[in-house]
Amino acid sequence: MAVKTSQHSFGAWRLRLSLVTVIAAAALWRFPLFHVMPIAEPAVLTGTVDVETVAEKFWSEQLPAAHAADVATVVATLQKDPQAAIKTYAHTVGLGGTAYFFISGEGRVVSRERDSVRLAVGSGADAPVVDLQIGDIFGNTVRDATGLLDVNQFSSLEDFNTLAGALNQRVESRVLPVLRDRAQIGALVTFTGCAEAEEPAPGGPLLTIIPVRAEVH
Amino acid sequence: MHLPRIPIRFAALLLAFTTLFSGCKPAAQPATSASPAAAKRIAVIISTLNNPWFVVLANTARDRAKELGYDVTIFDSQNDPTKEATHFDNVISSGYSAVLFNCTDARGSVANVRRARAAGIPVFCMDREIEASDAAVSQILSDNYSGTVALGQYFVKEVGETGDYAELLGLVADTNTWNRSKGFHSVVDRYPGLKMVAQQSAEFDRSKALEVMEAILQSHPDIKAVFCGNDAMAMGAYQALLAAGKTDQVKVFGFDGADDVVRSIAEGKITATVMQYPKLMARTAAENADLYLKGKRDFPQRTPVTVELVTRDNVSKFGDYGRKN
Repeated sequence: MAVKTSQHSFGAWRLRLSLVTVIAAAALWRFPLFHVMPIAEPAVLTGTVDVETVAEKFWSEQLPAAHAADVATVVATLQKDPQAAIKTYAHTVGLGGTAYFFISGEGRVVSRERDSVRLAVGSGADAPVVDLQIGDIFGNTVRDATGLLDVNQFSSLEDFNTLAGALNQRVESRVLPVLRDRAQIGALVTFTGCAEAEEPAPGGPLLTIIPVRAEVH
Repeated sequence: MHLPRIPIRFAALLLAFTTLFSGCKPAAQPATSASPAAAKRIAVIISTLNNPWFVVLANTARDRAKELGYDVTIFDSQNDPTKEATHFDNVISSGYSAVLFNCTDARGSVANVRRARAAGIPVFCMDREIEASDAAVSQILSDNYSGTVALGQYFVKEVGETGDYAELLGLVADTNTWNRSKGFHSVVDRYPGLKMVAQQSAEFDRSKALEVMEAILQSHPDIKAVFCGNDAMAMGAYQALLAAGKTDQVKVFGFDGADDVVRSIAEGKITATVMQYPKLMARTAAENADLYLKGKRDFPQRTPVTVELVTRDNVSKFGDYGRKN
């Protein structure tokens, strides 16, 4: 009798344990003690970007390796059909249609102003002309012309704009001095540069180019 | 009746596994593809409707979202971060599907965007940037810096390389204020003969600009120009100059491309502005929200929108907050 009572009480204990276990498991499933959250993929580089480091890497590594369209080909297309030239050779940034050319080639200096030298691209009296800027450099053209730098690599527009200034400063200190000193009328200039893609104004140059590399022969 | 016998070790194991893995469910996602039957509402929260430019931004966002099939409510924050926070509270408690957002404070508004995100409501910024890259789904932003670089170059051309000038800043907590100012100064500061004799905030407000400009003219009666961080302030400054009889002496430069300023440029009253495209920004934000609610996820965080310099030479091409067709 005593054994039976003991077996009964052990069976009842097991029944209670079973019920408690199932209820506890259900409760834990419904109301977990903690949540495992997926780590969100960062949309951009986090933290403060070292703009000078990015500028120097871009200037010394990415820019020399970037593909530049041939200036003679671009100006020939611009003369015939500006929209086709922009569509074929320019790189568009953001919304709204601002576009830039990244180009290289050569031309002979035909005139010179305080802030620019005018080059004839090709030979003959009616050769198309482009301007190379040799004055102060402003804006985002150098930053945006290759399409290699994206605002979403940076934590704010301000950093991205600071980068534009850092690149312009490099143009002024590393490229323009040789042009200011030696690009006299008659000199042959080989260059790589950046230009905003716009329909040329009547009577003006086909392109106004900010040089990022230049040699004067 | 035979009940299953659960050994104690097994019970312990079951509890341990349940405890361990019960939390490993997908995290709540911001509102996913809503069922067509569900009521879909979009909130447009705007920094202020006391400026025609922002009215255009808000109304265009509302109209485009309506075209896409949503019920839309516009909330006016009246340039007050506290009111903006209250709007977000209402939007979250009312179960809106998305927010098209123009902030009052680049840094302070981030918390509101994060609260909405945590509640599963995606936020799409328009025109004004917030200082976070992981809170809003996307930010459609005017390229203010480029615009004021172009404006700065035109300023030097029109005013010359010497002379005194003043600057009216917008809201000091807004990144647009500083991106515009920095773009302008990146050019003008290269000319040592151009001297800024006053720089004061008029909070993007026409009435405040009138008062601030009157005070500046008292202290600096010989200035040649004033650069204003938006067109409302340009109109306020022009009113002050008109009252002082100095409209021929002081050139006024604005930013926005508001209709009254574009007309004033055509009439020779204002020298130049920069055309932003509020309709393009608002439509794009509304379309992004629609795409998001239909399941798209890969949005660039920031998308710059082109701006254009408007002067007497090209003013005929502009109107109605954009280029004429």
